[in-house]
Amino acid sequence: MAEQPIALRPPEHRVERRAVGLWALQSALGFGILAGLLAGAYLIFDSARSWLGPILLVGAIWGAVVTLVMPLWRYAVHRWEVTEDAVYAVTGWVVREWRVAPISRIQTVDTIRGPLEQALKLATLEVTTASSRGPIKVPGMDARVAAQVAAELARITQRTPGDAT
Amino acid sequence: MSTEPLDEVPWQRLDTRVVWVDSAKTVLSMVPAGVAIAFFDAEISWGTMGPILVATGVGVLGGLADLLRWVKTRYRITDEYVERRTGLLVRQHRSIRRDRIRSVDTSAKFRHRLTGLRVITVGAGQHSAAGEAALTLDAVRVETAQRLRQELLPGGPAERSAEPEVVAEAAPVPRDEQVFARLERSWVVYNMFSFWAFLMAAGLLWGTYWALQLFGLDPAGFVRGLADWDAIGTASTVVVAVATVGVIGVVGLAINFFTENWRFVLARVPGDRGTVLRTTQGLFKTREVNRDDNRLRGVQIDEPLLWRWMGMADTTVISTGLSIWSLTPSAQILPRGPVSVARRVAARVLETGQSPLDRSLRPHPRRALRRRVGWALIATAIVTGLLAWLTTLIDAMPDGVWLAGLGLLPITLALAVVAYRSLGHTVADGYLVTRSGAWSRSTAALQSRAVVGVTFRQSLLQRRLGLATVQVTTAAGYGAYEAIDVDSAEAVDLADRAVPGLLTAFRSTAPAAAPAADPAPVEAQARP
Repeated sequence: MAEQPIALRPPEHRVERRAVGLWALQSALGFGILAGLLAGAYLIFDSARSWLGPILLVGAIWGAVVTLVMPLWRYAVHRWEVTEDAVYAVTGWVVREWRVAPISRIQTVDTIRGPLEQALKLATLEVTTASSRGPIKVPGMDARVAAQVAAELARITQRTPGDAT
Repeated sequence: MSTEPLDEVPWQRLDTRVVWVDSAKTVLSMVPAGVAIAFFDAEISWGTMGPILVATGVGVLGGLADLLRWVKTRYRITDEYVERRTGLLVRQHRSIRRDRIRSVDTSAKFRHRLTGLRVITVGAGQHSAAGEAALTLDAVRVETAQRLRQELLPGGPAERSAEPEVVAEAAPVPRDEQVFARLERSWVVYNMFSFWAFLMAAGLLWGTYWALQLFGLDPAGFVRGLADWDAIGTASTVVVAVATVGVIGVVGLAINFFTENWRFVLARVPGDRGTVLRTTQGLFKTREVNRDDNRLRGVQIDEPLLWRWMGMADTTVISTGLSIWSLTPSAQILPRGPVSVARRVAARVLETGQSPLDRSLRPHPRRALRRRVGWALIATAIVTGLLAWLTTLIDAMPDGVWLAGLGLLPITLALAVVAYRSLGHTVADGYLVTRSGAWSRSTAALQSRAVVGVTFRQSLLQRRLGLATVQVTTAAGYGAYEAIDVDSAEAVDLADRAVPGLLTAFRSTAPAAAPAADPAPVEAQARP
């Protein structure tokens, strides 16, 4: 069967190129810590080596593959757009997500910067609606652009009254 | 929010009778220990008396803590807020804006009913679906409770009556209360048979055994003397034991059902501002839950797989600000009962011509079954692989164990088919209806105007199969409802019909089948 994505055009803006580095760093750090712990356990507990060995091997290969493939794949997928009526973002890699939220239903707009993001001058834009199923997140935006967009969104959303449920 | 001087509204205490109830509770908790010592010459040692002393201690401390709570709790209702201050070491000040209040429940334990007290729970806030606690007043007099409910729920002063939703829903206000359902005795059948029967019976028996032993009786010996167990044989003994426990559990659940749902009534009751959906139930502990109809966003019916042959169903309303994660969720509007009743009630609750839940749903493409069969194969393979791996590691495990993993295959395949068959969706009368689930098939009808966002999800495999999952997010109920594995070519059309206008600007330039919706009605639709 032919590959069939859904009938939405991609959002207008790509995320920053630096985001590739961010995702690679995050993945390398995460898998590095995990592999370190497992390797430590492997060295300390002789009796557990028989079953820790395979887990360690699989984990290491998996981590390497993810760290190499995921950031570029994500960069190809991740896009975002803000219009007068809605926020639209595409994220993911193996599992892709297209998310649209009407401006009139937005409750809060945040920019979040973790330590790695700060070092790379990046930020994650987080748009929360009244749903308990989590905000729309756009990671890998330039910090200044994210702040600008957040301020702009805050301005637009203030025009609509009510509790946005 | 402006913090105007609101001090002219005095702070009020909880009812003084709470003190007497607490004192009585404290005294009562000492009774078992006292009786055991006074009448049964129980030896006062840690071994025999330990548990009962702990129970007494907990009871006394609980009573004292409750007294302190009474001393330290104040509440007041201003024009804009309901406020409560409480706490000895950690001072807590909780305030809820009155126009955010979604429900006012009153409940009463047996001790409250004896003394004419009621516990009031004020539900509010968008995040209560995520488990945020509401404001509870434990306890006030019946009259106060009724007054507070009247004051807080039906007609607060600062209402947003200019909004279209209120106008639209206030129009068909009935003159008097409409009763949708009353308890029917036959429903007990749906609530008697459950795995919980065994747990409940086990708990009951253990408690009885422990209590009897405490008073110097010998329940184990009594049971041993009932029959010549050696002659009956181990297997039969086990059968008898399981059957006995089962019967006790079933009877227990039946009694529990009646005490909980005694005089159950579901009715739509008029108020100053629209209507509320009210359930009242309970024999010893009565419970009354009022659900603001302006917060109603839809209805969901769940049918557990193992009981689908007898048409068992749970009915809940999808509403903003109602808890769905507690053991007695206030979103549940009917006791577990026959699905025919559930559908009838759902139709009347939603007040649409034909209930959206009764509409025939569109099946999902056959390729969705392939995905489920894939999961079934993978799950079986993983279990089999793990078992095989474990047998190589652990010597004590017999070699053929991994075959048991293969034995799972028929079950997982059957579940895959069941899961595929329950998939379905439709859009009708301003409702998006979705159905899915293997163990429990749940059908949810959600109002289009309640949608606060749309998500499409597609994994690599879904992309290959030409499938996509359409999810609409909302402030009500579970926060999101999804049509899983629809034809990816139709995904956007489906979402567009469910939420007209939102996606128009983002559709791909390929010629759309339907004419683009006029963006003008979006404004009217978007605000509840």
